[in-house]
Amino acid sequence: MKKRVLAILLALVLVLGLAACSGGGNSGDGGSSSGGKKVAITIFNSKMEIQSQMEEMAKKYSEEKGVDLEVYYSSDTVAAHLSTRYASNDPYTISMVDAKDVYSLAADHAVDLSDQDWVKDTTQAIAIDGKTYGFPVCVEARGIIYNADAIKKATGADFDPTSIKKTADLQAIAEKCGTGVMKEDWSLAAHYLAEVYEQQSDPDAFIKGIKDGSIKLADDAKFNALMDTFDVLKANNYAKDAAISAEREVTEQKLAEGEIGLMFGGNWDWSVINAYQYSENMGIMPVPNDVDDGSSDKLVGGGSKYFFIDSSENTSDEQRQAAKDFLNWLVYDEAGQDFIVNQCALVPAYSNITLAVKDPLGASVKKYADAGALIPNYNYLPDDHYAKCGAIFQKYLANEIDRAQFAAEITEYWSTAEVGAH
Amino acid sequence: MKQNKLSYKIEQYLIFAGPGTILFLAVVIVPFIYGLYLTLTSWDGVSATKTFVGLQNFAAAFSDADYWKAMLRTVIYSVFAVVLINIMSFALAFLVTRGIKGQNFFRSGFFVPNLIGGIVLGYVWKFVFNRAFVAIFGGSSLLASTEGAMFCLIIVSVWQYAGYMMLIYVAGFMSVSKDVEEASRIDGCTSAQAMRNVTIPLMRSSFVQCIFLSITRCFVVYDVNLSLTKGDPFNTSVMAAMHVYNQAFTYKNYGLGQSEAVILFAVCAIVGVTQVLIGKRGEVEA
Repeated sequence: MKKRVLAILLALVLVLGLAACSGGGNSGDGGSSSGGKKVAITIFNSKMEIQSQMEEMAKKYSEEKGVDLEVYYSSDTVAAHLSTRYASNDPYTISMVDAKDVYSLAADHAVDLSDQDWVKDTTQAIAIDGKTYGFPVCVEARGIIYNADAIKKATGADFDPTSIKKTADLQAIAEKCGTGVMKEDWSLAAHYLAEVYEQQSDPDAFIKGIKDGSIKLADDAKFNALMDTFDVLKANNYAKDAAISAEREVTEQKLAEGEIGLMFGGNWDWSVINAYQYSENMGIMPVPNDVDDGSSDKLVGGGSKYFFIDSSENTSDEQRQAAKDFLNWLVYDEAGQDFIVNQCALVPAYSNITLAVKDPLGASVKKYADAGALIPNYNYLPDDHYAKCGAIFQKYLANEIDRAQFAAEITEYWSTAEVGAH
Repeated sequence: MKQNKLSYKIEQYLIFAGPGTILFLAVVIVPFIYGLYLTLTSWDGVSATKTFVGLQNFAAAFSDADYWKAMLRTVIYSVFAVVLINIMSFALAFLVTRGIKGQNFFRSGFFVPNLIGGIVLGYVWKFVFNRAFVAIFGGSSLLASTEGAMFCLIIVSVWQYAGYMMLIYVAGFMSVSKDVEEASRIDGCTSAQAMRNVTIPLMRSSFVQCIFLSITRCFVVYDVNLSLTKGDPFNTSVMAAMHVYNQAFTYKNYGLGQSEAVILFAVCAIVGVTQVLIGKRGEVEA
């Protein structure tokens, strides 16, 4: 008898499981056909640190605007996650992706947003063949994060980030306050090595030159200047003996608490630094280098994370309109502006948003962005660039290869790699 | 009702095995065939069009040096891990079938690592290698060097699977009748001889199973690889499965990644089946 009850229970559980699956499918259909009163739109968020803010905002927005807004997050690679949603014909109405994904996805999947008001208020939107597809969510920039309190304690003098113009200036303070060096492949290759391309007057021509051999990376002034600066960071690394196993979180904690004074990174590092007993006097300054082209006064960065609206037939026109309204709300409604700047602590990419950015790293970035002192991102690096060149850079960091070998291996990488279409 | 009628047989099959068959077709066979089709396209994983390119992906897979380096690494890792897992688990099984005090406690204790998911396990051990060991013994982390990272992967895999394989060996030990062992002792065997000449040959099927399971699992290791080393340092601890994932999803060469996955599957199947065939050939019935 007991067994029988158990068997029935088990069967019920299985049936319920199936029902739950099919139920999920049904509600999805209901959303996209939207025959009812409320338009339902979905947002894919790929910025983990703002997920809870997004959910809260979605709840409020849904109540106020009579739109059913739902936010999803996945820790998967953005493209990999979206590909599964496209494969199952269940795309998000709005997806948040990286700049390079806009180039690969827009042609097939994105709606042309050129007629939207916000296009004129930003310099960071992504347009392909004259059509705007990508709505920049925020501005992020890279440089050297400093903890002015820690530097003051080490040097005894007030720290002025604008006084650091040359590698030697950096060296003078780095020797006293200590540095943290990243070991992540994305940070090394996609952020630091990329500056070698980005700070050229014409990055496309530079990469083409490396590919066809007309430019020798090892002899390039910018490459050597930036590597000199990297060597300064490397020589004063608090984890010099185990650079390759130093964890970024630990480095960020040390920087926040003033054990070290300098670290290469960007304003996104704030989400971690924020969690510790941080000093108020922090900020981001440009990576100083000895090439005299003004790059020591500029951060490298621009729009980061882009929204695009799905163009497939799985999304109805009402949904698309609701999605466009949402994007406009972010830019032009006070609540939307407050959400970006105050709730999420992001640096807005829109000139009409004048709210002050709260976190010190974001404030630095905003200062440079407002002054037009941002060197644009080069968004067309091949997808495997960060992993493959990152591994080579890690070898350099671990002193397994010298600079000549490093340059040779990067050149070797470029001999077969192709930059993305743009 | 005739029990040998075809309709009756089909009905019975559908009642008992139907749901299983449908699920198996839906989640294994259909994706596998669709996957094979994708190997013939240059799909990037997201675009709407899948261009047919014939066998180009396989040609590219065979000339992908990084892939074969990852494959070689996987083979080396598997050889060490399989041997160590089986030695460890056999030894553990031997210990916990001797009637020592609290042997049930030990059995469950050794099995516990297997209940922790590979991802969690990787992070736990990463902490142990990077922080705990460094704090205790000083020096730099094992994970910072190429050989060290491989060594760590092997250690963690052995720790993870030894308990699971131990259970199979325990079952093997229990299935060997005490009579034959005692008979051999009466005939003058020492306990070591009895183990070598009587118990182990009778447990051959346990060995075949354990080695098969450990080989197939080691060949497709991904979770521990991802959370423990993520390919670091310098991408020299990237195993074949991780390379396939990167190729397909991160580098957006879905077709190429898929064909490398098919090759990995073929290698794994050939090694596994060969091992089972060789193992089964010498199996003895008690």
